Amino acid sequence: MKWTLLGFVAVLALIGSVVLGPAAVPLAELLRSDIVWNLRAPRALLAFLVGGSLGVAGAGLQALVRNPLADPFLLGLSGGAGLGAVLAIALHLPGPWALPLAAFVGALAALGLVYRMGLIGGAGGALDPRILLLGGVAVGAFAAAITTAIVSLADAAELRNAFLWLWGGLSAASWDSVLLVALYAPIPLAVLFAASRPLDLLALGEEPAGYLGADVNAVKRRVYLAASLLTAAAVAVSGVIGFVGLVVPHIARLTWGHRHRALLPAAFIGGGALLAIADTLARTVVAPRELPVGVVTALIGVPMFALLLRRWTIA
Amino acid sequence: MKRTFLFVVLFLASCGPSGRPAVGPSQRIVSLLPSFTEILFAIGAGDRLVGRTTWCDYPPAALDIPSVGDGMPPNVEAVAARQPDLVVLYNSGPNVTAAKQLERIGIRTVLLDLNRLEDLGPATRTLGRLTGLEERADSLANAMDSLLHQPPPPSTTSLAFIVWDNPPITIGRGSYLHQLAALAGARNVFDDVAAPSAQVSLETIAARNPQWIAVLADSAVTPAFAKRREWRAVRAVREGHFLLLPGSLFGRPGPRSAEAVRELRVRLERTASR
Repeated sequence: MKWTLLGFVAVLALIGSVVLGPAAVPLAELLRSDIVWNLRAPRALLAFLVGGSLGVAGAGLQALVRNPLADPFLLGLSGGAGLGAVLAIALHLPGPWALPLAAFVGALAALGLVYRMGLIGGAGGALDPRILLLGGVAVGAFAAAITTAIVSLADAAELRNAFLWLWGGLSAASWDSVLLVALYAPIPLAVLFAASRPLDLLALGEEPAGYLGADVNAVKRRVYLAASLLTAAAVAVSGVIGFVGLVVPHIARLTWGHRHRALLPAAFIGGGALLAIADTLARTVVAPRELPVGVVTALIGVPMFALLLRRWTIA
Repeated sequence: MKRTFLFVVLFLASCGPSGRPAVGPSQRIVSLLPSFTEILFAIGAGDRLVGRTTWCDYPPAALDIPSVGDGMPPNVEAVAARQPDLVVLYNSGPNVTAAKQLERIGIRTVLLDLNRLEDLGPATRTLGRLTGLEERADSLANAMDSLLHQPPPPSTTSLAFIVWDNPPITIGRGSYLHQLAALAGARNVFDDVAAPSAQVSLETIAARNPQWIAVLADSAVTPAFAKRREWRAVRAVREGHFLLLPGSLFGRPGPRSAEAVRELRVRLERTASR
């Protein structure tokens, strides 16, 4: 029943985001329209893929650091991606893909740095979740400081627009970016799905998980890298879209429980549906203007979350 | 003793704000907006400028004036170091703070709106009054006002200004650029957006199908987003119909606004007959 409903919402969200839009396209011409075919359809799919990836990355990281506040961008990736993007603009890197590529590289650099710090904390290849959190915040803050320094010192007025990009949005969606994410995301997603069982055990604490047969250190490393690589791709194609990776895993957990075998797929479909709906609203409610999609994800996600939380605590 | 006391009181009084010498025409001016620099030169006060921003690149003589930085926000100490008796600032939040700080150290400031064509006349007249060059300022202001009062020609073509590509930011009715386009005979396809600029979705741009994509650019190179696949859903992008407008001439309201209108019209006509 829960799955049917979720599937129904997801399909409806996808259909809605292809049918609805600021430009009037008659239903009869829907399949032949250039706007629908080249703009709306890839944008809907990209929204779904990015939202799903953020949902799963958030669920994985929350289990890894055992902190309900964890969010895919908490571990310094947004700071690194922002620095990459600003550098791409400041250095006038050529080519239509310069900015997303630089953001991706920036996110990877932050990821590597935080990962390295996390390893220092624990002995023998163990990632210390507390160090990961602190290191993530520190690396993010440091990257943000350098970014701000570049923006305030460089002459280019267009640098200020880098922040617009960073706040997230799906306007750069095309079949190219959909294809890229569709080829890339399944690998870290599969790694995370495969870690479902050890992630369940990890919730009991690292030591008990070890007694129950989980290779705790290897699982932590795999989950951290897979979730971060997923987030890095998301930020490269759509900037920093907040709340999906924080709220969706919690909503999924409140409905599906703590077993990751169900939780992770639910977070994927739920995150995808939420972002597809949010983006459709962002494009249509104030048309011809457009809202930053992060605003809409927060406006839908937070009340939904509060409602579920209330039902949960009363029950 | 009594006389010494009186002297001290008088001395202190002359230091306070009330004791400032009678306000005459300003002789040492710092301009913190390229438009103000152009206006000051145009009314004959260019030789009184002792400071400008890095953006003030016109007229060429402006480049000989020491720069006080990019002015965003103004570096108050660098401005004060030029020992100006008048600082002209664009009326914005950070500039209001800077103006207060300058006033506190006894430097006269003036904050002026300069967002649209209709702001040009009042700003020019104010600058004329402050420099004692009312006559020249008046005739310049009248010339600029006439641009505003002439009926715009019927639009023969349409365009969309793209300020930024991801997310797409475009120019609305509230902007000076919208006015320029209208006077040059081009309809801004986003004339229903009241704000000076707004984020819009790519599909709206594609659906409204402007004949031209106008971009403020200092180089003649087509912007990088023209090569992005999603932008090729916009016909003007696909066909390479870009208007690359140098920011120094088109990006600021000022004495050269009429020239900007003429130049834009020429470009639209030249390419239309192509």
